[in-house]
Amino acid sequence: METLIQQIINGFSLGSVYALIAVGYSLVYSILLFSNFAHGGFLVIGGYICYYTLAAVGNNIWVASLLAFLGAGVSAVLVERGAYKPIRERTNVTLYLLIASMGMSIVIENIFVVTVGGRFRALPPVIPMTPVSVFGLATTSAFDILSLIMAMIFLIGLQVFLSTTKWGLAIRAASYDLKTAGLMGVNVNKLISIVFFVAGLLAAVGGIFLSVRYTLYPQLGLITIKAFVAAVIGGLGSLPGAVVGSLILGLAEMLTAGFISSQMRDIVVFGMLVLTLLWRPTGLFGKHISEKV
Amino acid sequence: MISGYIEGIIILICVNSIAAMGVSLLTGFTGIFTLGHAGYMAIGAYTAAILSVRHDVPWFVAVIAGGVLAMALAYLIGVPTLKLMGDYFAIASIGLGETIRLILENWQSFTRGARGFPGVTNFTTLPVAASFFLGMLILMRFLINGNYGRAFKACRDDYIAASLLGFKTAHYRVLSLTISGFYCGIAGALLAGFLTYLQPVMFDMNKSTELTAVVVFGGLGSLSGSIIGTAVIGMVTEVFRPISQYRMLIYGATMVLIMVVRPEGIMGQHEIGPRLIRSIFSRKPRNEVDGAHG
Repeated sequence: METLIQQIINGFSLGSVYALIAVGYSLVYSILLFSNFAHGGFLVIGGYICYYTLAAVGNNIWVASLLAFLGAGVSAVLVERGAYKPIRERTNVTLYLLIASMGMSIVIENIFVVTVGGRFRALPPVIPMTPVSVFGLATTSAFDILSLIMAMIFLIGLQVFLSTTKWGLAIRAASYDLKTAGLMGVNVNKLISIVFFVAGLLAAVGGIFLSVRYTLYPQLGLITIKAFVAAVIGGLGSLPGAVVGSLILGLAEMLTAGFISSQMRDIVVFGMLVLTLLWRPTGLFGKHISEKV
Repeated sequence: MISGYIEGIIILICVNSIAAMGVSLLTGFTGIFTLGHAGYMAIGAYTAAILSVRHDVPWFVAVIAGGVLAMALAYLIGVPTLKLMGDYFAIASIGLGETIRLILENWQSFTRGARGFPGVTNFTTLPVAASFFLGMLILMRFLINGNYGRAFKACRDDYIAASLLGFKTAHYRVLSLTISGFYCGIAGALLAGFLTYLQPVMFDMNKSTELTAVVVFGGLGSLSGSIIGTAVIGMVTEVFRPISQYRMLIYGATMVLIMVVRPEGIMGQHEIGPRLIRSIFSRKPRNEVDGAHG
């Protein structure tokens, strides 16, 4: 029983980190309708900026994470401006954007392999890992609780941004129809940049927590595949779907690791993806898009 | 005669071209984007390796068995999953490809897992690879230029119009995946015979990405383009081998650059042949390539 509660808390903690990544990915998908495979790269950029800032300014996690958020956000905007903008201005075939994003993800990963090397790096102990007792029912680490709370704060922040600000309104409009939003006077290029900045920032939050959990290395971005899976389970382009999908996935992964075997967790994740899609081909919260003839 | 090194490169290009032809049929001609076809190569490779090493099956039979098993699996996977459209299928195919790899990695007693499967006889010589390549190429050309090819292209260009014309689009999508599974299975089996040693990690997502990338490089909807794409990527990989740490960086940057500069790929939808030469000289305005909508 104690293991069960413990694994459920760990599952929610991991799931909430997936949610940060999945929400950014889903946000980009809802505007530009393509799977941005470079999203994992933003996470790695955030992680490395945090690592090196911590080394430079002496373990001040607030400065380091702020810089990491900004750096990842800005690099996401630069990737969009440099690689995606020329393509989306020329054609509306989203497949080309998808291939370019795969190329970009290989580029970002290997920039780190070439410059700082492929070594595994552990972040200094800036986030407390002390064991915490949860209402006397189970023990878990402070890190798990902290990452759950931080993820919730950022997700609520995103929700507030999208539902109360003017740009949030514009983003919601653009997720229905980007062209029409442009005709209504929204500066589309600026809007896309904002979306990429937000997505990069959220990925960096996830990246810092993941690099504490698993250590930091250039291929860490590959873990975003699981966030993509979560977003697809929830329904592509749907933000609540991305969060729910991520929590389900995190729970499934931790329960499998706790009760069956650690090696089975990835198989369970992908199995759940296929089963969900067979049951609901557009995910749990996905819009059913009927094509116009 | 050519040196062993060059011979090895040519064999690899032949083998990878067979797999690329399969992906080209699915992505280029039927418009279904896949990111998991390394999984079918893995099935072909392990089937051929296990049959020929443990059961003393003649290598030719083992290769065909590898292709057939991959084909059967592709059919079983295709019937339920090809209901999914666009990016949903793409992400699901990542999941399926990775699942195949993870099962191979964890089924220690049968595949020896991550330690790798050694001792396959070196049956993929240059003549074998080249004749398989030519045979599969001719088969694919017949398929694409025939009735089935037209049906595949109709599914790609306009799904709804194709179904209104009476094509069973679901049936053709599954058929396309099944055939591409066969091609990848054969390629995997030949790869086993060339490398003589298999590891599940050879068939990871990067391999799947590469298969799709060469098809897009070459031009969606061009068979010769896919083969040229494979050859170019194969040679770029070899040329930059001395600076191996920059190799993947250059590879990724090339991928982005081609999409920015020439998204329709090297060949567009054209094929090498008399018609291409005529079209160059007659200077007709080229049609815009619509590409695949998934």
